[in-house]
Amino acid sequence: MPQVWESQRTTFSFTSTGLFCSPLCPWLAVTICPAVPPCCAVLFLFVLANFTMATFMDAGVLPVAGEDEDKEDEFRAPLYKNVDVKGVQVRMKWCASCHFYRPPRCSHCSVCDHCVEDFDHHCPWVNNCIGRRNYRYFFLFLSSLTVHMIAVFTFGLVYVLHHVDDLWKLHCLITLVVISISGLFLIPVLGLTGFHLYLVSRGRTTNEQVTGKFQGGINPFSRGCCSNMEYLVCSPISPNYTSRTCKKTVILVQPPFLRPEVDRQMPVKIRDNGIQSLAIQNKVCASKCVFQLKNPPPLPPKPDRGLLKSQVAVLDGALELQTHMKKFIMFCWVPDKQCCVFLCFNTQLLKTSEQQGINKGSDLCSNTRGSPARGSHQASVPVSTPLQPSTVSSSLQLNSLTLNSRSLTLKHSSRNGSKSQLLSMNPEGLGSNSSPGIITTPSLLTNQCSSRNSKPSYNNLVRPSDPQFMVQRGAPPVSYHTHFMGLGTDGAVQRFLQRDSSPSIATRDIPPPGLVKRDLTSQGLQDNLRDLYPHDVSLPMSAAARYDNFSKTIMASIQERREQEERERMLRVSARSQVLYDPDVGIYDIPSRRSLPPDNIRPAGSRGPTPPAYGSREFLMSTGILGYGMRTSPLSSSSTSSLTRGPKTSSSPLQSSSSSLQSKGRSTSPAYCPPERHTQGPSSSTSTLPRLSSSAYPTPPYTSYATAKRSSLPFPSEGKESVTLGALK
Amino acid sequence: MLCCFTVFIFCPTQFHNLQELRHSASLANKVFIQRDYSEGTTCRFQTKFPSELESRIELTLFEETVKTLNNFYAEAEKIGGQSYLEGCLACATAYLIFLCMETRYEKVLKKIAKYIQEQNEKIYAPRGLLITDPIERGMRVIEISIYEDRGSSGSSSGSSSVSGSTAR
Repeated sequence: MPQVWESQRTTFSFTSTGLFCSPLCPWLAVTICPAVPPCCAVLFLFVLANFTMATFMDAGVLPVAGEDEDKEDEFRAPLYKNVDVKGVQVRMKWCASCHFYRPPRCSHCSVCDHCVEDFDHHCPWVNNCIGRRNYRYFFLFLSSLTVHMIAVFTFGLVYVLHHVDDLWKLHCLITLVVISISGLFLIPVLGLTGFHLYLVSRGRTTNEQVTGKFQGGINPFSRGCCSNMEYLVCSPISPNYTSRTCKKTVILVQPPFLRPEVDRQMPVKIRDNGIQSLAIQNKVCASKCVFQLKNPPPLPPKPDRGLLKSQVAVLDGALELQTHMKKFIMFCWVPDKQCCVFLCFNTQLLKTSEQQGINKGSDLCSNTRGSPARGSHQASVPVSTPLQPSTVSSSLQLNSLTLNSRSLTLKHSSRNGSKSQLLSMNPEGLGSNSSPGIITTPSLLTNQCSSRNSKPSYNNLVRPSDPQFMVQRGAPPVSYHTHFMGLGTDGAVQRFLQRDSSPSIATRDIPPPGLVKRDLTSQGLQDNLRDLYPHDVSLPMSAAARYDNFSKTIMASIQERREQEERERMLRVSARSQVLYDPDVGIYDIPSRRSLPPDNIRPAGSRGPTPPAYGSREFLMSTGILGYGMRTSPLSSSSTSSLTRGPKTSSSPLQSSSSSLQSKGRSTSPAYCPPERHTQGPSSSTSTLPRLSSSAYPTPPYTSYATAKRSSLPFPSEGKESVTLGALK
Repeated sequence: MLCCFTVFIFCPTQFHNLQELRHSASLANKVFIQRDYSEGTTCRFQTKFPSELESRIELTLFEETVKTLNNFYAEAEKIGGQSYLEGCLACATAYLIFLCMETRYEKVLKKIAKYIQEQNEKIYAPRGLLITDPIERGMRVIEISIYEDRGSSGSSSGSSSVSGSTAR
């Protein structure tokens, strides 16, 4: 059908032009100006050339990704990935047909069944996708055609008006026909040209315009009106990706291979220090320690410092948060559980305590690293540092219950077969700390090493109420031996090496027993205890949302917690000042309830005890449904977080994407023509997606839900959070 | 997709007569350096050092490679005098000039291919790594193949069963 249209149209334009030329041109040359016919001819040639380029030029088709590039399990991988473009969160969708996350502005054309860079629309008149490479030709074609049609119409009219007497002669009749047809087609073409002129000035594509992506917010791809015009006309033409002749080059890769030197001194030292000091501490101030191991754990595997560093670098970069909230994120390695705990605590706490020469409590950030993902890159053990005794009084030892520890659970069970078990860090569990409770979950964190097959999902391990419980029960301290490395998020403590000073200061400066002072202005302590989540709404998410295998998930969890906490804090701002901070009670009273957003939001069932085979597909599916069903947010931004790609399907691109966990992820591939409006699939949540995207962009902090492959436990809270956030905003 | 590199990691089996220890390498993993979209859709790659390469190559070398590639792409996509001239010329000749002349972008791509090959030969192949030109992947990722030493395979007189494989 498009071909029919195209050929009809082409024939018609040629015919009318020919007719225009025959009787008119001589007369025009004589009457008006001799230059008129040549100019018209040139103009017509220009139209033709641009039409040809728009029709036959590759629009910027992205080749299908090879199988080896997609290392994710389709079922677990998120449907969307957020990326930060000039401060604005842009969502990249997984293309099921092409097997990659579509770059920003890229879209899948259902007619042509391929992804096109900077996809504008699929034009039936030229029967080709209009995208990055040929948009300029299409635009020039439209503009030149408009001018040409105006010229034909005008000159024809002039001719007819001059030959009114001979109106019924053949030449006049032909001219009348020509001008009527050109006048008829001038209107839609002029409209289309004006529409694209508007789009170019705003820096949008047709796709973005009809889906309303940037309607309310900032378009990060726009460079300004003039620059957009300049870019349209003058930018270099990007290369053709699909049909490239490749020169074969032979390169010999033969062992033995050079290896870089790896310096492992520092972590070992710290670890040694930590272990030793911890051991001492355990003996000496057992009563003061919060966490205690029954058996001193064996030495963890040598930390892969390079890995560490990369992790740190990743997190460093990701956590360059211009935040006024000083947060601290620490990764602790729990050797016997083969897991790391990811915790965060407020560096204000740290600072105050440091100032007062008091150790900060055990900050447990556990990244559980399960079985080594691969070869030598496994068990990326962060620097081990011993737990710090709580800085608070003995009764408040649960300062270490900065344990908003989050476990990052793999979507898979580890290759070793050890299933990632979600250890629910409910207060009761903590309270009953007679057992050597390791407050971590043996969930597995994939760093980039092990990112091949898994993605972490995280659960909230410990509630801030835990301290309260611990305190109230006067439970025997459970010292937590962990090897951790701190990862500062504030400006002051961002370097990993510097971080050694912060947490390791805590480690090294072991307070004498009984020196468990709790410095705290009540305000400070409450802040510290409350703000145990790293968060800052104001942070620009730019680094945090880097598209990255490893940091993405962590950042997603951090961001989530951040947003969560920020919301909570905003709610509690007024209450904070009014609260009397009794060191023994008040501090833990107030945050206990309030820092439990998930408790308030989630149903009991959705965050129950660790189900078996946690992290299995069935679990994710079921809890995803549970979580999803809870969501009532019109934003439904969190609904995207539960979207997974689903199994690989070579589905028709015409199938609409589904937002349910159960449904298979499919690519939406609308064919865009200017008058067409893109319609989403039938599911309600899908239908919210365009609005989501439109509303998401003006509110960058709240669009990061979709990044991590997480367990569904946080999802309901996210949904509620998004509602609340929307309400707040 | 056509692959530009044919990697020989194969130890031939013909050397029966020689007590020869030859090492063979096999493709162990692939790392994909993703695009950095923080500055829009201009072609940039993330300079973050992937952890899989931690033990294989120095950070500085890797960063230098990626940064140089980013510079190349920035140069290719620069809007300036040359691109303007090219556009005008193309318009004036009704785009027939594209049949005769290659665009600036293509020229830079050739430079990039040459640079990648040089890097492979000098730096990456000795470390058991191989960089694939991102153009093959639609400029979405830089693919770095990691090869592992599968151990030496000796062949004594008699039989040898050295196996190897040619990478894609």
